[in-house]
Amino acid sequence: MTCERTATLVADYLDEALPPQQRHSLDQHAQQCPDCAVSLQEARRAHAHLLRWQQQAVPQWRRPALPEHDVQRPPLRWPGWQWAPLAASCMLALAVVLNVQISTGSPGLAIRFGAASTLDTAQLEARLAAFETQQQVALQTLSQALMQQQSADNARLMEAMIDSVIEQVGASTALSLEQVIAYFESQRQQDLQLLQAGYQQLADSDYATIRSVEQLAMLVQGGRP
Amino acid sequence: MSLAEQDDALIRAALDGSARAWDQLVRRHETQVYNFSLRLTGNPTDALDLMQEVFLGVYRNLHRFRGESRFSTWLFRIAHNKAIDMARRRPSSTSLESALQHGGDLVEARWQQLDDVPEQDPQALLDERQRNALIQAQMGALPLEQRLVVELKVFQSLTFEEIAELQDLSANTAKTRFYTALRRLKALMEQDHDM
Repeated sequence: MTCERTATLVADYLDEALPPQQRHSLDQHAQQCPDCAVSLQEARRAHAHLLRWQQQAVPQWRRPALPEHDVQRPPLRWPGWQWAPLAASCMLALAVVLNVQISTGSPGLAIRFGAASTLDTAQLEARLAAFETQQQVALQTLSQALMQQQSADNARLMEAMIDSVIEQVGASTALSLEQVIAYFESQRQQDLQLLQAGYQQLADSDYATIRSVEQLAMLVQGGRP
Repeated sequence: MSLAEQDDALIRAALDGSARAWDQLVRRHETQVYNFSLRLTGNPTDALDLMQEVFLGVYRNLHRFRGESRFSTWLFRIAHNKAIDMARRRPSSTSLESALQHGGDLVEARWQQLDDVPEQDPQALLDERQRNALIQAQMGALPLEQRLVVELKVFQSLTFEEIAELQDLSANTAKTRFYTALRRLKALMEQDHDM
């Protein structure tokens, strides 16, 4: 045995893990080598000195009694699925983000949820203009038809009244008859004027309705009336 | 039920959310961890800090304990790493004077606690504390890697193979470190004896 092995053998010697044969060998070497004998003796005394340590009681301290929900749980049985909730959340967030459309224009900042409308303002205005024209034409046609009908009715009524008057006053009263005709003619003209005024008022009311619809459409589009 | 089996049962209960089981597990091992920390840091304040970090580390990693070794071995593996982390953050300030002062303070505190225990011999208590303070100071004079080998070998009874694995070195290197540390301690003992 050489002195180079003393360090490792002393460690085992103190640990009492050294096999008897090697322990005997070390003892023999120590008897022949004063340096190793001193080293072994010093190590044994130091070791014995350390073993005199007396366990000290723990002072008052704050034990790490963390809340139960902070306990680290064992990993899931299928660790590959741990990402699933996160992935679902990301997809949901992405869907929301993609369906939100933010745009700026003349009305200012506009935020739309869902798919963009295919009907823009110009198209809507064109449709409303066409609707207005269509309504005007329809009103004019109706007005003319009503006037014609009224004229025909009035003519028939007047003829009936003339016949009735002739029967009552006789044929000799040609002058009176002319006066009656003139009177009825004036009444007819007044009726026609009143009728036209009524139709015009009705048409104005319809125009006001169309304008209200236009304003409502502008509001829906996010613009100002 | 053996101590190791009791530890395993407490660990399972703690992992199931039992704060009581966790508390019991800490109480079973805190004295050993505190004394480990005291010898390595050299003063009670740092020892308590280190102990706190050790048990927090244990708590956070408890689900990783597989029961392949004793819980105490696994615990001191964490303690070993935490001690190195702390030593890097806080250079040791241990000296014989400060250690003896801490020892004296502890004796004072202990005497106050033991007023109701007349059979306790104050002189024996003083000797015990001063001897511990001396060992603390001498351990503190060793380089950290030697201090850790001595701690793990003498006080935690790890094998040199376990120490070697823990410190990522060969068993023979661990033995040499241990031998060198003991010789250094012997020299320090003689110095203190001359004081």
